[in-house]
Amino acid sequence: MIGLTSPYLWYTTRATGLVTLILFTGVVVLGSLVANRVGGATVGRFELSELHRSLSIVAVIFLVLHIATTIVDSFVATGPISVLVPLTSSYKRVPVGLGAVAFDLILAVWISSLAKARLKNETWRFIHWFSWLGWAIAIVHAFLTGTDARTGIGLVLVTLCALAGALAGLWRFYARPARAAGRTALSPLAPAAEAPRREAPLRPTETPRREAPLRPAEAPRREPPPRLGESDEWPPTPAAFPHRPQDAPRRGRR
Amino acid sequence: MGMRRRTGGFVLAVNPIQCDGFGHCTELAPDLVRLDEWGYPIIDKTPVALSNLSALESARLAVRGCPRQALRIERVSDLPEGPAHRA
Repeated sequence: MIGLTSPYLWYTTRATGLVTLILFTGVVVLGSLVANRVGGATVGRFELSELHRSLSIVAVIFLVLHIATTIVDSFVATGPISVLVPLTSSYKRVPVGLGAVAFDLILAVWISSLAKARLKNETWRFIHWFSWLGWAIAIVHAFLTGTDARTGIGLVLVTLCALAGALAGLWRFYARPARAAGRTALSPLAPAAEAPRREAPLRPTETPRREAPLRPAEAPRREPPPRLGESDEWPPTPAAFPHRPQDAPRRGRR
Repeated sequence: MGMRRRTGGFVLAVNPIQCDGFGHCTELAPDLVRLDEWGYPIIDKTPVALSNLSALESARLAVRGCPRQALRIERVSDLPEGPAHRA
């Protein structure tokens, strides 16, 4: 067993700390992309969503490693309590306390996302806002604790993370498509920033009255979408859905 | 031989209050969902046969992938015979 006095736990703490910061920056940026409805032909929106979700799991795993090695390691004296309760560490009281705050916030976001199906959507979204705060505090935590983050490549990485997250945040709030702004006014910044500019078409409920309302017969008819199984074949063959991966021949039975 | 016979059908239903027009559903279930010009889903109310496994699978993916959890699969026990329903 690697002795608790060996420096490797301490190295692991430092390394996983930086990796966690980079991963969470990626999660925050991806979350902004999802929120602003990025995605389409080249990268699906749902793919960005899934990537946001998966990357957050990886980030949480690295965060747990970062924290676990800090507790077990005896090189610096942080107790297990100081992981959750701020300002209880005897080593670098404030920086480690900020880390604890960030961890608490990320924990809240994580648990609320796990319980998303049981929560009201407004509740979940309200809690999810705290990921920004948690991320920002994590940046400060990295810089203040600063074994690696104040010199050399560590400083470069932390600065890049801070820049990327800050830019993503600004873009998230100020370049939000009007289409996305309709219902998501729960944002504390949304009403002021987005009410005046509305270039995209209004929501159906807000459509201004036309002078002469179209009668159904006059309304421009859209070509109806191709129905599933337009052929008379029964049961329909997967050839009716040629562009979808799940139409590949199945192995199991249902 | 073969798969278990399923009777009845399903409808992919959207809760318009919860929907925020993320548009994931049309990517995950392009045969069931298309978008209106505001990016909100239009779903045909005609039931789809449960035996249509690929449609059912894509509907499940859409339900799971909806960021606002606005979609659900509603089962319809009676499916009209013949070509009246969607295959």
